[in-house]
Amino acid sequence: MASIHTERETLAYGGASAGLSSRWAVARSTLALAFRSIIVFVTVFFLATLLTFALQGLSGLSPAHLQLSESATPEAIAALEHEWGLDLPLWQQYLNWFGGIVQGDLGRSWYNGADISLLLTSRAAISLSIAGLALLIGVTLGAVLGITAAKFQTTWIDRAITTFTTFVSVLPPFVVGIGLVAIFAVWLNWFPSAGYVPLDRGGLGPWLSHIWLPSLALSMEAVADIARQLRVGLIQASRENYVTGALVRGLSSERIFWGHVLRNGSGPALTMLGMKFPNLIGGAVVTEAVFGLAGYGRFAADSASRGDVPAVQGVLVLAIVLVVAFNLLVNLLLVRLSPASARGI
Amino acid sequence: MTAEIIDRLQITAAIEREGEPVLRLDGVNIRNQITGKDVVRGISFTLKKGKVVGIVGESGSGKTLTCRAVLGILPELFSVSGGTIDLLGHDVLSLEPKQWTQLRGTSITAVFQDPGSYLNPSMKVGAQIAEVIRTKRGVTRQEAKQRTLELLADVRLRDPELVYGQYPFELSGGMLQRVLIAAAISLGPKILIADEVTTALDVTVQAEVLDLLADLKERHGLSLIVVSHDLAVVAQICDEVLVLRDGEVVERGATAEVLRRPKHGYTRLLIGEHHLYGLERFLDAKPTTPKPRLVDSRPILIRAEGVCVSYDSSTSRRQALKDATFVLRQGESIGVIGETGSGKSTLARALIGLVTPGAGQISIAGEDITGFSAARWRDFRKRGIIQYVFQDPLRSLDPEVTIADTLAEPLLLQGMLSKSEIRDRIYFRLDQVRLQPNLLNRFPGELSGGQRQRIAVARALVTEPKVLILDEPVSALDSANRVQILEILNSLRANGTSLMFISHDLGSVAGVTERVMVLYRGSIVETAATDDVVNRPGHLYTRLLVGSGPTVTSIGSIDRRSRQALREQLEAAS
Amino acid sequence: MLRGIWQLPAGKLSVLFLSVIILLAIFGPALAPYDPLVGTDHVLAHPSAQHWLGTDYLGRDVLSRILAGSTISVLGSVQVAVIALFVGAIPGILSVYLGRTFEWLTLRLVDTLIALPFLVFAVAVTALLGNGIPQAMLVVGVMVSPAFYRVARAAALTISRSQYVEAAILSGASIGWIVRKHVWAKILPAIAITLANTMGTGFVVVSSLTFLGIGVQPPAPTWGGVLASDLGYLNFRPYAPLFTTVLIVLTVLAFNLLADVIRDVSGESGRALLIRREKKRGRTARQTSATIPPTPHGDPQ
Repeated sequence: MASIHTERETLAYGGASAGLSSRWAVARSTLALAFRSIIVFVTVFFLATLLTFALQGLSGLSPAHLQLSESATPEAIAALEHEWGLDLPLWQQYLNWFGGIVQGDLGRSWYNGADISLLLTSRAAISLSIAGLALLIGVTLGAVLGITAAKFQTTWIDRAITTFTTFVSVLPPFVVGIGLVAIFAVWLNWFPSAGYVPLDRGGLGPWLSHIWLPSLALSMEAVADIARQLRVGLIQASRENYVTGALVRGLSSERIFWGHVLRNGSGPALTMLGMKFPNLIGGAVVTEAVFGLAGYGRFAADSASRGDVPAVQGVLVLAIVLVVAFNLLVNLLLVRLSPASARGI
Repeated sequence: MTAEIIDRLQITAAIEREGEPVLRLDGVNIRNQITGKDVVRGISFTLKKGKVVGIVGESGSGKTLTCRAVLGILPELFSVSGGTIDLLGHDVLSLEPKQWTQLRGTSITAVFQDPGSYLNPSMKVGAQIAEVIRTKRGVTRQEAKQRTLELLADVRLRDPELVYGQYPFELSGGMLQRVLIAAAISLGPKILIADEVTTALDVTVQAEVLDLLADLKERHGLSLIVVSHDLAVVAQICDEVLVLRDGEVVERGATAEVLRRPKHGYTRLLIGEHHLYGLERFLDAKPTTPKPRLVDSRPILIRAEGVCVSYDSSTSRRQALKDATFVLRQGESIGVIGETGSGKSTLARALIGLVTPGAGQISIAGEDITGFSAARWRDFRKRGIIQYVFQDPLRSLDPEVTIADTLAEPLLLQGMLSKSEIRDRIYFRLDQVRLQPNLLNRFPGELSGGQRQRIAVARALVTEPKVLILDEPVSALDSANRVQILEILNSLRANGTSLMFISHDLGSVAGVTERVMVLYRGSIVETAATDDVVNRPGHLYTRLLVGSGPTVTSIGSIDRRSRQALREQLEAAS
Repeated sequence: MLRGIWQLPAGKLSVLFLSVIILLAIFGPALAPYDPLVGTDHVLAHPSAQHWLGTDYLGRDVLSRILAGSTISVLGSVQVAVIALFVGAIPGILSVYLGRTFEWLTLRLVDTLIALPFLVFAVAVTALLGNGIPQAMLVVGVMVSPAFYRVARAAALTISRSQYVEAAILSGASIGWIVRKHVWAKILPAIAITLANTMGTGFVVVSSLTFLGIGVQPPAPTWGGVLASDLGYLNFRPYAPLFTTVLIVLTVLAFNLLADVIRDVSGESGRALLIRREKKRGRTARQTSATIPPTPHGDPQ
């Protein structure tokens, strides 16, 4: 039998009968929640950029390694570093850099002095096309598999999907990539195995055929995770009492599933999506290597091996901005889906 | 085709006439697919239009399964293996899912225990009711909202507009139950099944809900099936009663008949329990003159003076306990009664140091514990003078620790006894709660609810405390276990242990206490001998409390109108 | 728990497989028939009696390279798991008991770590701080530690709010006592599961990094490196990636399977599962001593 006395009930009882003051309390708590979320995201952004900035200090590298020869004099090194503003105190360097970021200026490359933001723009188009398509595939295919598995629970369909997702989720993305290349590019020759064609150059067809395989490879992990979480979430939601309640009131099972269960059960899957998004962004490094693409992943790897610190930092900042923005969106969606948990009660 | 329609029309017309059967069960058997056994055997009854049938039984008696069979929502493991169920002319056992969807809500519906969980937590309650009206009746959103507001007013919610836009977690248990009832009657069904709807509610709220159901029955011509484990609840509004035990009907008949002249031993047992441990014990007694006040010279164990506790949340400050003053003497057994939010749990928690009072003084066994630091509390608690039994026996025992270790823990913390002395102590207390030593190697998950609660009591007793505080110790148990615990408590009283029994149910409290404190909205509104509180209640709230308590006799319980009047007076006064 | 793992067939399978892999890691280099660094003239040869898995583009025996490369992969994944465990679990448990500020700070740090795409960061750090798998593993360990933080914190939270802990406090228990008697045993399964899963992840990360050529100097054999060279010469030996891929996939699968088995045998449901299996085999359930009174244990088991 149910426990009778909960703090929650007591508070709610007092609140609900208070009438108007309860409306005000609700509005205040929503505002407080929005405020708290923003603070969290700002803090995360701040800490992440700090960690990224720390790379430079920890690496002990300087533009001298890239631009001057081995026999450069200490004076020449010092002069170069002064030119780059590296003799300023660390906190000042950080603030300058951070200030630039907020305005969209990611600094200049130590390798060739070029504007990093510019360098990244063209490359980002490639990586983000792939990541975007991968996200789309991940969400759509993941949702389809997850919903199907939940609806046909315990039948062979469910077991097949579950086996598939378990198997796929353990595959390293580059393994999937290699497999896809081997089968579809080399053996069947349906898709090109490398390279990229921008949308404006060749139109939709060539663009898609080039990014299709890498996106698929990148999306597999997300597909498996979303499918699994959605299945679990939906099954759990369908066992809740409110399903019985709705049934008894005369709503059809279909309506209950699509209108209530799906809405409540997709919370865990959404949370997982927010958590795994960085993997989607970061996986570019590997997929670009497998498929020979000149995206920001490749750029990061090359810059890293050259010791071009600002360039690497630039890529990281771009990734951080994307992740934080995406998570904000996911959070907003979650609040819409389950207001109770959002109010922190 | 036409013949079918004519048949249907004729049946419906017949049903519309007063007193015609709307639901008929004939020799229904329900089988557990896994074990292959029939857990419900040969249930038959007829529900007539405008009448109320009550089904009484313990958990496991089959009452809930029967209701689910009638609604077509039996769990996967169960199926109807015999008999027929006729619902408004339809053969329930041969219905297709589409037909069920049509029938439910419009012809038959139900409300359950723990109403909050039967509503979607992420949707506003108003929208959920409106959704049903919109989809089944095909009206516009505006019209559905209008109708929903009417319904919410119908179930006597004070501010329908406000409640419409609230989420389930913002409403109290009583309000949620009303919302659920509103949702249930939204399509004008002919039959409403109420399964343990009052079990998790305070006594006064319980009476309100039952009053509401009776009122709706009269106004809308509903037929009701009221299911409960408490015979007294059923006795309040049912015309006819069925007593279920282990899947079979052991007694049936008109309510008054069954209560006055029970034929089956089990029924007599149920009624007897009420007389032993319920309000009836005091109500049946011949009216006596109030006993003269004797001077109580027993030493004082707990003294509380002007204790105030307030909870500060981000949005408000709430006074949970206002100016609480009382004493508890050695060997005395006192009951603390109040509804949710009255402050009774807060009082107990203040006594054991789980919450710090904002003002006032508390002394236990002569020691002033106000303002104790965490370290001093630890030392004080190790002395084991005052012990606490939780409400939920499942959660208060560590599932990964054996019973032996759980019982030994307080003594090991004390660090004063040897291993063999600890063993002896455990055996003694185990025997006191009437359990066998072979349970010691088991884990809590292997025990029943009643056994677990007895272990919790035993654990509280191993340090030989002077005072035992019990917070709703029997509320989560069924009748048989409840009686056992109450008997154990009485034997403890006989041995000189002081008890503080906190509950919302005056009935259980009355059975083991000599004095009762009544709490209402944070204040102690009345303190008197149990007999006086039950027979000569003073404060408005106490009168409402005693008058709301369901009893198996007609004495003591006041009628609906008096209850309504008392409630209005209370609201005006506070 | 260990006994329980062994009782399930899935458990036996994963433990055995992983033991083989560990043995490979230890004895692999010694078992290699050829020197993995030395090239021959038999370039891109197909599998034969001489070279069981053929040779790569420099004529090196693939089998030897795989055997020799197993050490780095396995060591790397163990390193990641151990670092993640300590960096994550300890603050996780402490965050419940050390007050609001500490809790908020650690939570934000964890959010940050999750937000950073760890592969990019690992690549960056490894390259910038000096190429080396140990450095890379340190970084990756820190970046995957949130998993342990979450698990340890969730367990500690649930337990510290439970009524049986409250009951212990009411009998005068200190935080140390509560952690020892009530929290520790319950956290172990969750941590073991996360450990197994993290080793799987670590394995994937090592393979990815070596695939990219980060963290190891070119001639050194690694599983990822072998795969990279296979990819470049896919036209000549299209079946080549199969061996390494299968090996990697099976190892990761084994780790995850072990994690699932641990989950199945722990806690109350785990106990029930094991008892059901024993009953099926005809053995009686655990004996309860009705004649010999039990002595209460004074120490955690």
